[in-house]
Amino acid sequence: MPERWSDYAAIFMSALALGYLVYEIDRRRRKLHDVFDVLDADDANITARLEDMVASGELHPYTGATLA
Amino acid sequence: MPRAPRGSRPRAEAGTPREAAGGHPTEASARALDVRRTEVAAPRFRIFVVDSGWNSAAHRVLQENFGLIRDLQKDDPIYVLSREQSIEFIRHHQERIGREPLIAVHDLAAMSESGTTDFHGFRLHLGLLRTPQQALLALQNFTRFLSTHRQSTDLEAEIRTDLRREGLAGAIEIILHHEAREIGE
Repeated sequence: MPERWSDYAAIFMSALALGYLVYEIDRRRRKLHDVFDVLDADDANITARLEDMVASGELHPYTGATLA
Repeated sequence: MPRAPRGSRPRAEAGTPREAAGGHPTEASARALDVRRTEVAAPRFRIFVVDSGWNSAAHRVLQENFGLIRDLQKDDPIYVLSREQSIEFIRHHQERIGREPLIAVHDLAAMSESGTTDFHGFRLHLGLLRTPQQALLALQNFTRFLSTHRQSTDLEAEIRTDLRREGLAGAIEIILHHEAREIGE
């Protein structure tokens, strides 16, 4: 058991720092996945719609040099 | 939603030098080589660009660099939805509003194996990046990833490894108090 208040303060500050680190890593991980992620079953509708547009001839490979 | 790791699953188009090594060439192996050559020439990805035209840094960066991206990705078709098509598309997928430009890459090898019920590609929500520098960096990384992983036999595992590596790098930077790699702020 810590005997001095300063020991308690040090433990508290360490726990706070560790908590912040975990929070910050998790926040960045989520942000990264928001920006870039794999397509899986959750995205099946979107994928199917885009593939349908290609199959139906609604979309063709883009041949222009720049975006309009 | 938890996703089961499928790192060891073989892909249909797998064709590594290791497989070709050893043994005398037979008719079967020659046929396999021909098939492999055909597969290398065939598109691996279909790339879709959905952009409803928000006046954003990401929109401008995509417009300015699209020609270069197209030149670098000549082997795979790029489908660009018009503004009207993009708006109609986003109207049906409202959770994506404000995240466009969205670039979706369909992995034809994975789709031929398991359709869309499993891993079948990856996507970039470019619109989440606020500054031109962040958007350009993301676009460059994305294009590099496409080029370097075109022949990948297990794309999903490689993407997840890259994401883990990025997460680990972020953790190290937090510890070292560096903010240079910060994304989206």
